[in-house]
Amino acid sequence: MAYLATFYWGWLLASALLGLAMGWISVVQHGEGVSKITKRWLAALAVVLVAAALSRIVPGRFGYWLDLGLIMFALYLVGCAIGSWLRDWVVSRSAPAP
Amino acid sequence: MQGLFRWSSKWWPGVIPLVIFWAIAAWTSTEPLEADLAQRSTTALKDTVLDKRRIVVAGRDVTFAADAFSEDGRLSAVASVEAVPGVRLVNDETRLVPEAKPFVWSAERDVVRVTLGGSSPLPSSKAKLIEAARAGLGGVEVADRMNLSRGAPQRFDSAALLLLDQIGKLKDGKITLTDNKVALSGMARELGGREAIAAALKNLPEGFSVAANDVKAPPYIFQAYKDPVAVTLTLTGYVPDNNVHAALVAAAARKFFSEKVVDNLKASVGAPSGFAAAVVPALGALSRLSTGTLVVTDREVKLSGDALYEAAAGQIRAGLGKDFPQGWQFKPEISVKPAAAPVDSTVCQQLFAELLGKARIRFESGKAEIVADSAGLLDRLTETALRCPNANIEVAGHTDTDGEEAANQALSEKRAQAVTDYLVRAGLPASRFMPIGYGSAQPVAGNDSDEGKAQNRRIDFVVRQ
Repeated sequence: MAYLATFYWGWLLASALLGLAMGWISVVQHGEGVSKITKRWLAALAVVLVAAALSRIVPGRFGYWLDLGLIMFALYLVGCAIGSWLRDWVVSRSAPAP
Repeated sequence: MQGLFRWSSKWWPGVIPLVIFWAIAAWTSTEPLEADLAQRSTTALKDTVLDKRRIVVAGRDVTFAADAFSEDGRLSAVASVEAVPGVRLVNDETRLVPEAKPFVWSAERDVVRVTLGGSSPLPSSKAKLIEAARAGLGGVEVADRMNLSRGAPQRFDSAALLLLDQIGKLKDGKITLTDNKVALSGMARELGGREAIAAALKNLPEGFSVAANDVKAPPYIFQAYKDPVAVTLTLTGYVPDNNVHAALVAAAARKFFSEKVVDNLKASVGAPSGFAAAVVPALGALSRLSTGTLVVTDREVKLSGDALYEAAAGQIRAGLGKDFPQGWQFKPEISVKPAAAPVDSTVCQQLFAELLGKARIRFESGKAEIVADSAGLLDRLTETALRCPNANIEVAGHTDTDGEEAANQALSEKRAQAVTDYLVRAGLPASRFMPIGYGSAQPVAGNDSDEGKAQNRRIDFVVRQ
């Protein structure tokens, strides 16, 4: 993992920044998000993919691509979380107390 | 926390550019990553002795195939690749180098090259053997057909190197090492080479032994070539020792009275018994030919060339083999030189004088027996006499003044008669010759010195119309 991080830090940084931006937007965005049920399915899919990656059952290049995708996705999620939290903090500070 | 959960339902649109990023990252990074991992894996195996190593990287998975020389070496090689950072999985396709049983190594020499075959225990010993073969054989092509196998006997390298040394002493042949038994066949390059190889094999490392040594000695060859154009007799090949060498050259000088003897003989061991006893009469027969080659190979004497006249050819064909020691073979290939054009009596006389000026007919001391060394000269006199069929010839015997005059007179007559007999045996009519003895009455030099006496002991040919 450390090897991949040093090899592709650019792509990983890009994923994290993308996540940060998306998180920043999502706090004030109007409209419906994905439903709870869809979220569960997506979470289940993510678990399956992570399990597949950890168990190394996907061979060769597909295995590498899966690892790469999951790492980028993980950093994206981290970026989203930080971005959302930051935006929420900024919004709550600037808004007048209820 | 609840907020995070709520916001997360709106994070999905970012996944679309993320997927695009992912696709680009995958597209651009896969091949450099694979190349990097392949290079790191190769570096990790740098110090491990392996054969047929093959590393294929797909994604982060390394397919590693190689032949290892021990189980420990194999496991440590796999572990080294597994330890390379970034490698996810190692598909282990390594195996042990096959075990050769029996472990056979061979070196074969033919005319143009030395072929190393069979098994060698490690790449390093293989390289060492090829290197040694190139260095030791100087310029001979070395072909490597060795494969790598386990199961070599201990001290294989030193045994094989010693055997490689021996292949240089072979003209052709094969040396095979089967486990720790050595078998040799072929022919030594030089006389004495077989003995040198046998001596060297005593230094084989402990545990090795010679199962069969069928190396043959090269034939013992002696050659003499009589060249009528250059007027030389060229001697080449081997003689047993310096005494025989000197004796042969002296005999050649006596028998070939007009030719220059070119001596290229080398002394060497391994002569067949009775060598000198066979070669000296064979040289005598060669001296009777106008042009010819004498080849003595071991105990076979081959004489080819042109005799000066028919009777001489018959005498050589039938007579020479009888002079040989037991076990020797004679293979004559004698033809007859075309007869020279007839000449008149004056020219005949000149030719006789010319021949007898170069050499004298020699007899046993105090006797009327012609020595064998004079056969060449007599054949030339006979040939000349055949060229002037109408001339009558006086064969004149002379002696020096030593001894009683009556005895000298008788001896000169007998000697003249002996020469005449020789000519008649050669097929000339007896009526053409008049043997006359003059004793010491007609000296051509002073009888006060050995040299002068030697010149006075002579046979002259005088043409009478």
